[in-house]
Amino acid sequence: MPQGSIAGGSQGSGSTAMPRVMVHFDRPGRDYAPRQQLAVRHDIEGLGGEPLRAVERSVLWYTEGKGEEDLGVHWFERIDETEGLLAVSPWGEFTIRLPMSPLSYEGLIVKVRWCVRVRIFFADNRDFVSEHVFDVGGISPARAPLERLE
Amino acid sequence: MKLPRLFGKKRGHRRTGSEAWGSFAEGLFYSALVAAGLLFGGTVLTGAAGVGWPRLDANDSGAGRNWWLAILLLLIPGALLAFGGSGLVRILSGWGKSQERRAAGSGSVSLRGAMGHAAEEAPGHPGVPTCDDLVNSPGTILRYRLPIESPESWTLLGLGLFAALWNAVVVVLAVGAGADLLRGRTDWLLLALLAGFVAIGIGGVVLFIRMLVLTTAVGPTQVEISDHPLVPGGSYDMLIGQGGTGSLRSLELYLELEEFATFRQGTDTRTDRAVVWREGVKTWTDVPIAAGGRFETHVTLSIPPSAMHSFASEHNAVKWRVVVIGRPDRWPAFVRVFPLVIFPADATAVADAAFDQETLAAGGTA
Repeated sequence: MPQGSIAGGSQGSGSTAMPRVMVHFDRPGRDYAPRQQLAVRHDIEGLGGEPLRAVERSVLWYTEGKGEEDLGVHWFERIDETEGLLAVSPWGEFTIRLPMSPLSYEGLIVKVRWCVRVRIFFADNRDFVSEHVFDVGGISPARAPLERLE
Repeated sequence: MKLPRLFGKKRGHRRTGSEAWGSFAEGLFYSALVAAGLLFGGTVLTGAAGVGWPRLDANDSGAGRNWWLAILLLLIPGALLAFGGSGLVRILSGWGKSQERRAAGSGSVSLRGAMGHAAEEAPGHPGVPTCDDLVNSPGTILRYRLPIESPESWTLLGLGLFAALWNAVVVVLAVGAGADLLRGRTDWLLLALLAGFVAIGIGGVVLFIRMLVLTTAVGPTQVEISDHPLVPGGSYDMLIGQGGTGSLRSLELYLELEEFATFRQGTDTRTDRAVVWREGVKTWTDVPIAAGGRFETHVTLSIPPSAMHSFASEHNAVKWRVVVIGRPDRWPAFVRVFPLVIFPADATAVADAAFDQETLAAGGTA
């Protein structure tokens, strides 16, 4: 699995599919500036001939750390099988412009991460999600906690 | 059909309950509320609750009272139906949809302000709080006067409220005990209770007066700034004014970055805070404050070019602030906090910086 990728989902016991989503960013280091263009191509492999119901692609940020997870979707697209695209070409590409904020941040108890998320829905209601993290803004990470002054 | 797992893996090492099962349990809860509302409303409307709808009979003197009672009783099933119904609609509208699809449909995430209330998002800057509350007070010399966010003020207010309420209870008890004494009766239990209450009441007043004297004797701190919001890499003129009498052994000025994370622990909601970055801007020693006057000085505040911008979402926040610490000669030290909002740097500048960084890493020249 490529670096910065997370995958998971609900798999049926009788499933023959071992999905893999390969995402290729237009910048090899996956480092972007705010308002910069992001071009992505994704390939879905290992479907084992199982029919798909839909594919969702999104560009989003989420928080990680001690607090509850917050999430903001910058771009979202759902392709349903009714459009007839999935059976013939389980791959896709898209180009978007990133927003001004929030920037990726590696804090101590709060982290902000950007990612491309591809979610596959099989015809039997199972789903599989694959997440590919990238960096926006080049912000310095936080170091160590400091004693409070007050 | 395979049932969803009860526990799923979250990011990191934490485990969390299944979203599907959570929604199912929530749905059961809201359905129970709707059922209770229907049942309760039905019993009121049919008269099974013992409060029937009155007949429109002019001679019935209790008709008006019955109407009000019936309407009041209907408020409870009405609230159950409204709460349960809205919860069911929310769950059903999100059922079977992915987290991203639900978030995309609801628009931007809700933001959280300094005191936990909803804050506005700065236009064109998702996840960045607006600084409207910080720029509505003009400065005397510089453009804006920063509002103070001092824990001392809330402690003083809390102590004052406690002392006032407690002593009001003491007065009520004292009036009762005094009336008994005038009638020639002595209730020793009440007198003993009163003695304890009076002691706590006096203690509350003493603490409040001590804190009031400490707060007012030191004098107010005023911070003004030449521009707001701030941006990484920017330099700003700042005015520090310290009132009071006597002199200060030192007056220190810091710029801080603090993270806030709100999480649920059982049935409690907790917020954890961590100061992750601090820079001493300037320290003044042996600061004299003339009677009736104040110490006033200018300083340049520089924001690091790679600094994180202010960030606020529903459960997480990254906040910037200026902290002033004064150490008076005759009084305990005081800490005063002034919040700031930092926007992301201009996109062009950030892109240029990223380009320079890449060029340096590749060993080339820009």
